[in-house]
Amino acid sequence: MASEKEFISLLNQHQKIVYKVCNLYMDAHSDREDLFQEITLQAWKAYANFRGDAKFSTWLYRVALNTAITFFRKEKRKPDIYSTDSIPDHSEDTYDPIEEQVKAMYAAIGHLSKIDKAIVMLYLEDYSYIEIGEMMGITANNVAVKMNRIKIKLKEETQKESAHF
Amino acid sequence: MELDELKSQLKNKLASDHAGRSDTDIAVLLNRRTNSVIGKLKRSLLKEILLSSGIVILFSVIGLFSNHPSLKIYFSVFAVICGVLILPLIYIFRRTTRLSSTASPVKSNLQTIVSIMEYMIKRYFQFTMALIPVCFIFSLLLISNDGKVSQRFAKGDFSANWKVITIATVYALALFVGTYYFTKWYLRKMYGKYVLQLKECINELSEE
Repeated sequence: MASEKEFISLLNQHQKIVYKVCNLYMDAHSDREDLFQEITLQAWKAYANFRGDAKFSTWLYRVALNTAITFFRKEKRKPDIYSTDSIPDHSEDTYDPIEEQVKAMYAAIGHLSKIDKAIVMLYLEDYSYIEIGEMMGITANNVAVKMNRIKIKLKEETQKESAHF
Repeated sequence: MELDELKSQLKNKLASDHAGRSDTDIAVLLNRRTNSVIGKLKRSLLKEILLSSGIVILFSVIGLFSNHPSLKIYFSVFAVICGVLILPLIYIFRRTTRLSSTASPVKSNLQTIVSIMEYMIKRYFQFTMALIPVCFIFSLLLISNDGKVSQRFAKGDFSANWKVITIATVYALALFVGTYYFTKWYLRKMYGKYVLQLKECINELSEE
């Protein structure tokens, strides 16, 4: 039987991955907490079958993305309108054009579909198209096509968002 | 600006809202209940398997030891029907257990969840609809076999055959139509929207 201690220690070392997925998929703090709990539980259930063929981080991404894509917010809560306000902003009051662009890009990523978000997340983590394809269950070619479309979509969205700021 | 130019800043921003959890915090989470649809489905399947097993035992006992022939037949048949229902329930339960213990690629994970849910919805609907004629035929058989009830019918307002046939037909139609639409509505409310959303994700992944 898989060791609980070993799992907890591994997850603790890689918990940033889970937080990134939670931040990407959920806007409200309480929803992020729920998703974090769900990913942790799903990873623990699947850990017994983790044979170490892949890196733990890659395996955790797969579990986390699978959970986030199939996870739906509790209906009672307010609609999941993505905003950059919920992300702590460590920038100073002075206007920073790069920071504004990052904000705009971040908000634009928040408007993508669940599948596109997963692809962007893995792309930002520098996974190759082949690796992304393996994790998503599609071909590397398909990943490349999707990534091109996403980049165009993000560029358009960012321009709109930038006009807002 | 392009996505690639902001890559490192975006990575930092994504990881910024991060309180950090200790080993103890994570250990506490491991003992909590899952809120995923599959987790809930698994729990309700387990309840249904246990309930159906209880019903099979109880109805079999009544069927075997009852002194009334009509009750004997009625409970024995329902014990068999519930017994048959347990098989697909166990099958779905095992598939959901296997699903939650593997980390498959996103697309195949979605396809498995959708196929499990569609199988369950189909079987649930078939079972509910199959029960209607069974219930109806048995209620007629029981009435005709039970002398006291037949006499009460004959003495009362339902002495004429056409009245009995009309009432029985209206009742059967209302039961069938009501159950059909209610079951469809209930299943769509419970799982329909979720299955549709998952299918949209599969379609998106399949698009070239």
